[in-house]
Amino acid sequence: MDIVLEGLGLVFEPFNIFLILCGVLIGVLVGALPGLSSPIAIALLLPFSISLEPVQAIAMMSALYCAGTFGGSITAILINAPGAPPAVATAFDGYPMAKRGEAGRALGIAAISSVSGGIISLIIFLIATPYLADLALRFRPPEYFALAVFALSMLATISGRSSIRNLIAGAVGVLIGTVGIHLTTGVERFTFGYPEMTDGIHFVPVLIGLFAMSELLKQSQTLSVVYERITAVVVKLPSREDFNKIKWTILRSSGIGTFIGILPAEGATVAAIMGYNEAKRWAKNKEDFGKGDPVGIAGPEAANNAATGGAMVPTLALGIPGSATTALILAALIMHGIRPGPYLLRETPEFIYAIFGAMLIANIMFLVIGLVGAKFFSRVTLIPRTLLWPSVFAFSLVGSYTYGSSLLDVWIMLIAGVIGFLMARHGFGAAPLVMGLILGGLVEESLSQSMIMFDNNWFKFFESPIVVFFFILTTTSLFWPVISPWVRKLINRNVSESA
Amino acid sequence: MQEPDSDPTEADEKPQRSAIYSLIHGTDLWLTLIILTVCGGLYYVTSGFDEVPQILAQNITPEWFPRLLIWVIVFLALLLPIEHLFHARGKKHLDEDRRHRIKPMAVVTAGLLTLVVASMQWLGTYLTMIFLCIALPMLWGERRLKVLLPFAIIFPTIVALLFTQVLKVYFEPGIFGLGLR
Repeated sequence: MDIVLEGLGLVFEPFNIFLILCGVLIGVLVGALPGLSSPIAIALLLPFSISLEPVQAIAMMSALYCAGTFGGSITAILINAPGAPPAVATAFDGYPMAKRGEAGRALGIAAISSVSGGIISLIIFLIATPYLADLALRFRPPEYFALAVFALSMLATISGRSSIRNLIAGAVGVLIGTVGIHLTTGVERFTFGYPEMTDGIHFVPVLIGLFAMSELLKQSQTLSVVYERITAVVVKLPSREDFNKIKWTILRSSGIGTFIGILPAEGATVAAIMGYNEAKRWAKNKEDFGKGDPVGIAGPEAANNAATGGAMVPTLALGIPGSATTALILAALIMHGIRPGPYLLRETPEFIYAIFGAMLIANIMFLVIGLVGAKFFSRVTLIPRTLLWPSVFAFSLVGSYTYGSSLLDVWIMLIAGVIGFLMARHGFGAAPLVMGLILGGLVEESLSQSMIMFDNNWFKFFESPIVVFFFILTTTSLFWPVISPWVRKLINRNVSESA
Repeated sequence: MQEPDSDPTEADEKPQRSAIYSLIHGTDLWLTLIILTVCGGLYYVTSGFDEVPQILAQNITPEWFPRLLIWVIVFLALLLPIEHLFHARGKKHLDEDRRHRIKPMAVVTAGLLTLVVASMQWLGTYLTMIFLCIALPMLWGERRLKVLLPFAIIFPTIVALLFTQVLKVYFEPGIFGLGLR
């Protein structure tokens, strides 16, 4: 109990509360702005966070992560342009409700559902993280290698259109991670004579390039897009009738969202779509969906915010990020000299409770800010893109330079941005590359150590049941796109037979 | 029906060629070739890594892991031209984001940003930001000078002050020596 209070005490310091408030405001803002998203904002925050204490930096980023997911729903409801991908499903019913003059009601339902999902997932986060960390204490290098490969394969399969392309992106990320001095032998690899690269390619400029710069290039192609806007009225909290209608959906979607979030993949977006589909499947009046049904707003909103708490579980307990945004939070932790994983929980458990506290405060803050300021946040889309994106690039420029005070980093950011833009065009995801880059060190280290332990005998990997378990999961996830139609057919046949 | 004087081999070739075209995705074939070329180059680079004594390497030489990754990438890249066969919606599914050509504005924007980064060493960070905040909005069609000029001066100044004064970051002063220290 003392540790819990100590952790929460860290967050309740005035300066930390101020940073959480900043994180929430930035999160809701970037969430509301189509094109900008929480990964971009966190990538741009990374260089700033160097000057902060680790708890402060992570608290601010976690708050931004939660608030960014909600921010996207404001523009999804008011202008049918989800500010962030997780809010896509919110627009299905949120916009029609707003169109018939009930924008305030739609925003209120979204806010309450989002906060409820977030808080439920945080409770699960608090309970599950120590258990998972305890389990992870039994992991040796082979188990860690199998887990990292599973994480990469999951992300490749669930995110984007093509698992093959995402796997290539993940492998490229790991390959970029090999640049610099080889730890075992001290040999320089892929440094091409640049002394700045002996420490490896800093991931801050790569992340800024992949997320911010590539989005800027994408935006340069859509300068003429104009959004149809619905004037927001006063946001209303859900009525008793509405609440009775959505309460079970919130609970169900929170469970789905937390579970999806824990899996290493593009958590919030997948969770939101699953939350919407499940809400529709359980609904009595399915024909109301798409016409402004409150359950159609509550389902995805509770799920997408629940995924944020879920995604923090593997990030902190195992050091394996649960989404692109948590991969960036993991990068921030590494930058501050902290390696998340079971030992973090054993040595500094108060850190986990501090993050829990920060996310809890963030949820309450964005409920208030969302209810009071929705009208204002819907107006941020009025900021001309001709000024917004140059500002983003100015931050990218300075941010990537700041990290190593090197112009080479700025060039790396630029190149990463152009490559990221071309990759996205051809279906290669940025998230698997980032995950590969961040996990690269762990993958190489654990594989090398395993091979030394096993005297170069690959078959010895299969002597560990945990490794076999992860390899089975990896194989299933890799072949899921091929086997899923058969599984679906089998389920449908069983259902029709039993009916 | 085949005409009596036409070349029979030519007529047979056409359906064969279209069958190959439907099996292999043209754009992805190019992608594969690019990836294979890059992988070939990187593999060659790994052959130039310093050699280490066996006792130090313990069978895990510095090039072992990068080469393993390169082989994985090569194997996956070889699947790209036929990947559309595994998707229910085929080529359409994979071509959704590249249906339209890259707009010239994106290319010009990338060119301008390259120029901005290249000028950073000479102009210094602060002036580069001012240059960026004027050039990019103008390129994107912003013509309201009353908006543009204050933005181009105030925003970079705030960013520069934040980084130099609050975060104590050293800025490239450039030839004009403007480092805002």
